[in-house]
Amino acid sequence: MSFSFGTARLFRLEVRRSALPWLLPVVAILFWLIVYRRSDLFPPVWSIRARAMQTATVSVFLPIVVGAAAWMGGREARHGLTDLLASTVRSRWYRQVALWAATTAWSAVAYAVCVGALYVAIGRQASWGGPLWWPVAVGAACLPVFTALGLAAGGLLPGRFTAPLVSVAAFFALETSAQLIHGDHSPWQISPLVAGPWNGGADQDLATFYPYLSDLPRVQIAFLAGIAVVLVAALGLPATAGSRRQRLAAAALTIAGLATATTAAALAGTGRLDPHGMIAIPAVHDAAADRPVPFTPVCSAAAVPVCLHPAYAYELATVDAALRPVLDQLAGVPGAPVRVSQGAVRYSSDDGGGIGARLDGRQPGGDSPEFRMVLPNQLPGPPLNAENLAAAVRAMTARDIVMAVVCGGREVTDAQEAVIGALTGDPHAPPGSPVAQAAQRFATLPAADRHAWLVRNAAGLRTGGITLEQLP
Amino acid sequence: MNVEAADLTRRLGRTQAVAGVTLTVDRGVYGLLGPNGAGKTSLLRMLATVLAPSSGRLRLLDGDPGDHRQCKAIRRRLGYLPQNPGYYPRFTVVDFVEYFALLKEIPAARVPRAVAAAVERVGLGDKATARLRTLSGGMLRRVGIAQAIVNDPDLLLLDEPTAGLDPEQRVAFRALLRDLGQTATVIVSTHLVEDVGAACTQVGLMDQGRIVFSGTPDELTRRGEGTDAAGDAPLERGYSAVLTEARA
Amino acid sequence: MSVEAAARSRLLSLFLAGRRVPAALAAVAVAAITLHLALYRPWNTYGALQLPLIVEAACAAAIAGTLASPFGEPERVAGSRLPFLRSTMVVGLTAAAACALAVATVGVPLSGGVAALVRNLVGFVGLGLLCAAAVGGGLAWTGPVTYLILGVYALYTQWHGPALTTPWVWPGRPGHDPGAALCAGVVFAIGLAVYTWRGARE
Repeated sequence: MSFSFGTARLFRLEVRRSALPWLLPVVAILFWLIVYRRSDLFPPVWSIRARAMQTATVSVFLPIVVGAAAWMGGREARHGLTDLLASTVRSRWYRQVALWAATTAWSAVAYAVCVGALYVAIGRQASWGGPLWWPVAVGAACLPVFTALGLAAGGLLPGRFTAPLVSVAAFFALETSAQLIHGDHSPWQISPLVAGPWNGGADQDLATFYPYLSDLPRVQIAFLAGIAVVLVAALGLPATAGSRRQRLAAAALTIAGLATATTAAALAGTGRLDPHGMIAIPAVHDAAADRPVPFTPVCSAAAVPVCLHPAYAYELATVDAALRPVLDQLAGVPGAPVRVSQGAVRYSSDDGGGIGARLDGRQPGGDSPEFRMVLPNQLPGPPLNAENLAAAVRAMTARDIVMAVVCGGREVTDAQEAVIGALTGDPHAPPGSPVAQAAQRFATLPAADRHAWLVRNAAGLRTGGITLEQLP
Repeated sequence: MNVEAADLTRRLGRTQAVAGVTLTVDRGVYGLLGPNGAGKTSLLRMLATVLAPSSGRLRLLDGDPGDHRQCKAIRRRLGYLPQNPGYYPRFTVVDFVEYFALLKEIPAARVPRAVAAAVERVGLGDKATARLRTLSGGMLRRVGIAQAIVNDPDLLLLDEPTAGLDPEQRVAFRALLRDLGQTATVIVSTHLVEDVGAACTQVGLMDQGRIVFSGTPDELTRRGEGTDAAGDAPLERGYSAVLTEARA
Repeated sequence: MSVEAAARSRLLSLFLAGRRVPAALAAVAVAAITLHLALYRPWNTYGALQLPLIVEAACAAAIAGTLASPFGEPERVAGSRLPFLRSTMVVGLTAAAACALAVATVGVPLSGGVAALVRNLVGFVGLGLLCAAAVGGGLAWTGPVTYLILGVYALYTQWHGPALTTPWVWPGRPGHDPGAALCAGVVFAIGLAVYTWRGARE
């Protein structure tokens, strides 16, 4: 009882005299500048923003927390208290563990406040789904490692250069670890910066149609826990750290921590790119996580509605406006879709470590009443604003829809190319060429005449039976 | 007068560390007594030009420490040993004292002799080439005194200089103080009234930021005569009597 | 060498030893060698810019580690040579670090060029000097380290816009950008002036 009471009192003392609170405003400013403000640039989709949060937050917290912990770890030597404290009943390891716990508690408070504020902001903007906690958990699991690393460095090598150099070196190691990731089988994916396939970037949607796979986060947390145990236990290994029994316990903990961390890194090396974009690790994979997440799409009110996943409701007006001119012209044309729906993305890795992304499943085809599409913001690449999104949808999706109606998946004939160019307003043929002239001629027809011709001739156009000269 | 202070105050946060000290000190050894927290160290730091007064007037060695140019001139003639001086553990005794000799702009040709003399005067001649990390606390204190006197200062400020010295060294140190007091103004802050009795020509007693007594050690002793003030020695009884009176 | 010159030289060497300058130079040398070895490895465009920035920050952090005085108040009141010693130490260390890093990049590809490398280093050191004056020599490293995170973010925004283009975040600007060089130089000059005059806060 007295032990636990004394420990609690010591912890409270360490919390009160910690230097970390003085540096937390710096962390908060960096978090606001680098994580919070930037989050607004991403689509308000939980999976995208939460993953970006994990990567950026780890980078922001690491140098400051490690440096501050190293600074505090060296304080006994700095203040000439080594001998005085060595004469007390409690071992050096005990004191260092109390300091570690207090430093970790402060960093956890800062982390909770920062991430809490960010998640509240995301929650206000996101139109579907709820907070993703695995990225939060991985970030939180980093904190005991950062503080233990700093304390170990400061405690074992007290000096005026320890805090600055260990802080920069830790940042260097973290950033370099990301450079070493090549493909989905890399054990370096264990780096807490990684929240999905690293080469795909942090700004693609991975876990909206399917659950957020916890395989990699779980392995990462095990790895971080192992490293934290190793570092804290290493403080108890020197002869001056405590009694023989304590040092034996520290040695056992060090071995256990090393084994855990090594196993976790090895498991990360067995990862593979899941078809839905996450890293799956067979040894810890739960097959239930492969089932799609049910949702009710949001649709525009039109004869041919555009339907999106509710997470993308904020893009509905833009996408509908971009597709509406084409959909209105195709309405009632045989083979034309009666509905355009957003589909999930299917991912695959190539031999070079790159990631391919395409529509999950097959396009239903000309006889289906539905056309399925993938939005640009679902794919790897920088997030698009409304204007760029509309341009990309007009250039890609609108053309795909017209092609699906007039080509039927075969090689595109000149007549079909002219019709596609006329309907999308984006002829691919060289200006002045016969195809471009035919497209221009067809585009200048009155809308009713053009629509009537399409209704009459869509089938023939699709089979390639209509030539360029036969176009009105 | 080497030290002239008039209504000197210094506020540290919400604490009034020095609350209107008026003091004039010339050549000789001036002992500054007082309980913990009386404001001795703050006063000494102001006299050492480390801490600027919040208000009041201060002149040192006929110069104004608030004026940059005059402050530089004062510092060349100043010796200062704070309560907790810093040491670079890898320096030898000579390195340390020489470093301060050079910083105090002693003419280069005189430096080796001045350093050797200062080291000898504090009784560390046989430890001149020892690294500071190998010295005891009392020896480190003497190294600190050596750096303070290396420039033969006209104003020497010593904060608890005898802390950590063994009895033999304390006796020797008192002799050194008396010697220095022949040519310079020496202000010694201390808790040890026997040091004051043995070495000081004047004594001031501080309490709650004010000087509540100023006079000779004999005068302080007389203040305790015929009272039931606490203390084992006459000077201690004088000290206690003055404090009791001031607080009443 | 005259007696006066020898004394000045002795004072400088004692001052530098007291600030652990040899250890700082060793750290700079290790950083330079690390940079040289790392640049042999193929880096992607982002990593190739990020790596030198981290090494520059490491050098600046090592320099920041020398700013605290181990002697405290006796040194502060011991004469008028301290400002000269402080500025000589900082300028000398910065120049030595710049030279070491520049030499380390000879024969290996350096993204951004030597101009950006020197500019970033000078700016980092300036922030360390300002921090030393504001929060003390012991925590002077927080300036360069904090700015390193901002600098790495600025590089990131070059590929993932909108780019951070203010010259005050100079690591994100090309080496030939005069505005960025001016900002880094101004920070260094102010930091040097403040540190020379007041030293590190105690």
